[in-house]
Amino acid sequence: MSTLSEAVGPAEPNDTPPRGLWRQGLIVFCENRLALVGLGLFVLLAAVCFLGPLVYQTDQVHTDLTAVYRAPGEQGHLLGTDGVGYDQLGRLMLGGQTSIIVGLAAGVLATIVGTLLGAIAGFFGGWVDAAVMRLVDAMMSIPSLFLFMLLAAIVTPSAPMLILIIGAFAWLGPARLVRGEALTLRSREYVQAMRGMGGTGGRAVRRHIIPNAIGTVIVNATFQVADAILYVAYLSFLGLGIPPPAANWGGMLSDGLADTYSGHWWLLYPPGIAIILIVLAFNFIGDGLRDAFEVRLRRR
Amino acid sequence: MTSRFPGRALRGAVAAAATIALGAGLVGCGDNSGSSKGGGSQGKDTVTVAFRTPNWILPISAPGFTQGENAIFGQALYRPLYQYRLDGTAQYNIDPQRSLAEPPQVSDDGRTLTITLKDNSWSDGTPITTSDIQFWYDLVTANKDKWASYRAGGFPDNIDTWSIKDEKTFSITTTKVYNTAWFIDNQLNRITPLPQHAWNKDSATADVSDLASSPEGAKKVFDFLTAAAKDPKTYDSNELWQVTSGAWKLEKYVPNGEVTLAAQPNYSGTDKPKLSTVVLRPFTSDDAEFNVLRAGDIDYGYVPAANMSQTSYLESKGYTVSPWYGWSITYLQLNYNNPKSGVLFQQPYLRQSLQMLIDQPTISEVIWSDTAAPTCGPVPAKPGTNTDTARCVYSFDPAKAKELLESHGWKVTPDGQTTCQSPGTGPNQCGEGIAAGTPLEFTVTSQTGFAATTKMFAEIKSQMAKLGIQLTIKEVPDSVAVTPACEPTEASCSWDMSFFGSQGSWYYPAFASGERLFATDAPVNLGSYSNPEADKLIEATQFAGDESALMAYNDFLAKDLPVLWMPNPVYQVSAYRSGLQGVEPQDPMNLMYFQDWSWK
Repeated sequence: MSTLSEAVGPAEPNDTPPRGLWRQGLIVFCENRLALVGLGLFVLLAAVCFLGPLVYQTDQVHTDLTAVYRAPGEQGHLLGTDGVGYDQLGRLMLGGQTSIIVGLAAGVLATIVGTLLGAIAGFFGGWVDAAVMRLVDAMMSIPSLFLFMLLAAIVTPSAPMLILIIGAFAWLGPARLVRGEALTLRSREYVQAMRGMGGTGGRAVRRHIIPNAIGTVIVNATFQVADAILYVAYLSFLGLGIPPPAANWGGMLSDGLADTYSGHWWLLYPPGIAIILIVLAFNFIGDGLRDAFEVRLRRR
Repeated sequence: MTSRFPGRALRGAVAAAATIALGAGLVGCGDNSGSSKGGGSQGKDTVTVAFRTPNWILPISAPGFTQGENAIFGQALYRPLYQYRLDGTAQYNIDPQRSLAEPPQVSDDGRTLTITLKDNSWSDGTPITTSDIQFWYDLVTANKDKWASYRAGGFPDNIDTWSIKDEKTFSITTTKVYNTAWFIDNQLNRITPLPQHAWNKDSATADVSDLASSPEGAKKVFDFLTAAAKDPKTYDSNELWQVTSGAWKLEKYVPNGEVTLAAQPNYSGTDKPKLSTVVLRPFTSDDAEFNVLRAGDIDYGYVPAANMSQTSYLESKGYTVSPWYGWSITYLQLNYNNPKSGVLFQQPYLRQSLQMLIDQPTISEVIWSDTAAPTCGPVPAKPGTNTDTARCVYSFDPAKAKELLESHGWKVTPDGQTTCQSPGTGPNQCGEGIAAGTPLEFTVTSQTGFAATTKMFAEIKSQMAKLGIQLTIKEVPDSVAVTPACEPTEASCSWDMSFFGSQGSWYYPAFASGERLFATDAPVNLGSYSNPEADKLIEATQFAGDESALMAYNDFLAKDLPVLWMPNPVYQVSAYRSGLQGVEPQDPMNLMYFQDWSWK
């Protein structure tokens, strides 16, 4: 049995006080201005969507055909109204809640499932690896949007259903990534040592493989969330989203397109810009996290 | 780092940005700077038309395939015995130019109609004779249950004697003395001569014979033809469909895609096509169609209700914009046979409450941009005239609807879930078969692709939610196909409400009686509505010599609500290149005669 080696990464310079892993990562993250902008954007959008309705209260359940297509600012509607009289700013907040909740939940679900399966496949190898990876290959060979559309057409879309549908197919990417990490981690000496001392495979996956791949997982999770938000938008744009009076930004964008030529710009730009901003925010955050978890970049 | 999703999220963001940019660009075009590429076919002998892909070619209607596009497609290839026009200038509304026969000679007792065919031929040169009429008659008589136009007691059950006199003449003697106008307009309109010299066989390799002359043989022939009609991908290659009588022949057919009609060089009618090709191009949504129309890439399209403000822009780009009014009504079908919600729909007070929550005048004005008018009963208003809403028995009145529910034992919970509180059959109770706690919740199966329809149901859902009636809207591409007439025990009977009226639910033949719609077991009575009094009144319209019976039938059903009456939109607001002649008048019975079209 080999002896335990020293720390795998480069040793800290002796004149630098030791920093905690998370603290070190936070410092690197904060040095990335775009990441901070992304984080700020996300916090701002989330605050507008979830806290905004407490301040700016509108009726997003009942239509009002006497107040359709009001221009921004008209009769107290800051962003105007849509074709059935819903206040557009209130609808943007409501739609944002759905987009963020579904995006986050689907992204997290995909990350959890993908991480677990990827770690198990990579660590155990053999037929387990072959089975999981062939499943991944098979599912990846089918365009995901097609699968989403098929499922969304079969079942009546709702927020939990969208989370399940998107999560059910979005785990493939994380699974591949984590499996790659697991393949390298399983031959590390500390894992070998733990197995030599009688540790089970499950413990190895739980205590060593996943924790040591956590950087990759977290960075990928941010992109998963961004992707999930876009997929909610895609499905809604194609008419397969959650039916009214529920709203989401993709559906609002789709509805707004019907009014493109009528000059009702406030129905088109706000949801479109909101989608861009939140997706960019998660991408910036992901880039920042990648820097923070990347060992070479962490050492400044 | 890789991602399962295409090109990572950033690319998605770029795609979204591109969408916005596109939108911005389109908006930026504004009313004055939009560019027409001058596409389409103007100046050529082709016309490109926005048109849903037809999916039925056999000129015997089949359940589930009665959509308007199939009727237009069918009559372009196969001429019916009689064609009609509603301008009031022709005897029995028969269009003398387009019809294959002279108007019928009616016997003194009113029971026998003698019909003489004009000289016409099939595209292969074979004359159209009474053998082709007989062939059609044999097929529908032996396969009544598979014919969408059949109802018990109607054609051909109401024929006492069917007699072929010679190659050009045949006569029909009815079992009773019918209103001649009704019989000619609503019964004889179903006859379409079929090429028995090409179709009278039961397989592609069999020789043509007189197989259909026996009921068993007719069933085999019918099954063979129906199977071929259910295989759209072979429409343009199957030899069966090469022999036609219409002004057009099918040149190319792409399932769910473009259809190309070419002028039939051997067409024997007098209304010869002036164009050589008509391209029917489908679109997945109003928006997609309007984008192409605005870009000038089609010659004939339509303006969606949400884009009515663009009329002047289109006119400035050389289009004529003209509403196509229909001899039609629009309604929300209720499924009386649904094991769960059927018992609710059986209650007249409940139907009345639901009807009083539909604000037809406002929806017509605001959502349909005044291109729809309220429907008040089964007999349509004269095309192009405003509906007199005073005719509507149940106007929009949420307070009265609430009162009606509460007075029948319902606990109305605004913005919650209204439930039956007082079950039973007494006057102040919910009604037969409705248990305590039964919620008022329904699913509407509606149509995708129509922005105004989506908004209309958002409004109706909102109004119903105010009384605690929960409506779930489910949009599908073909709502007729998934909401068939059914028995309570069938799995397909789970639908509650069906809407297929984004361009009008039902287009009447010349005589607007309801035997196909609202009579018990009528072929298009998808919801299985049944009322003996209605049946009696409908039957009376077939015998009365004046319009009083029609009015009595209208008044009864307007009140009884076999369906929920909905705003009746124009078939479409057509937009066609100003150089395209012959489009007007647009047929209120929802047919298109491409052979009349020509470029200036």
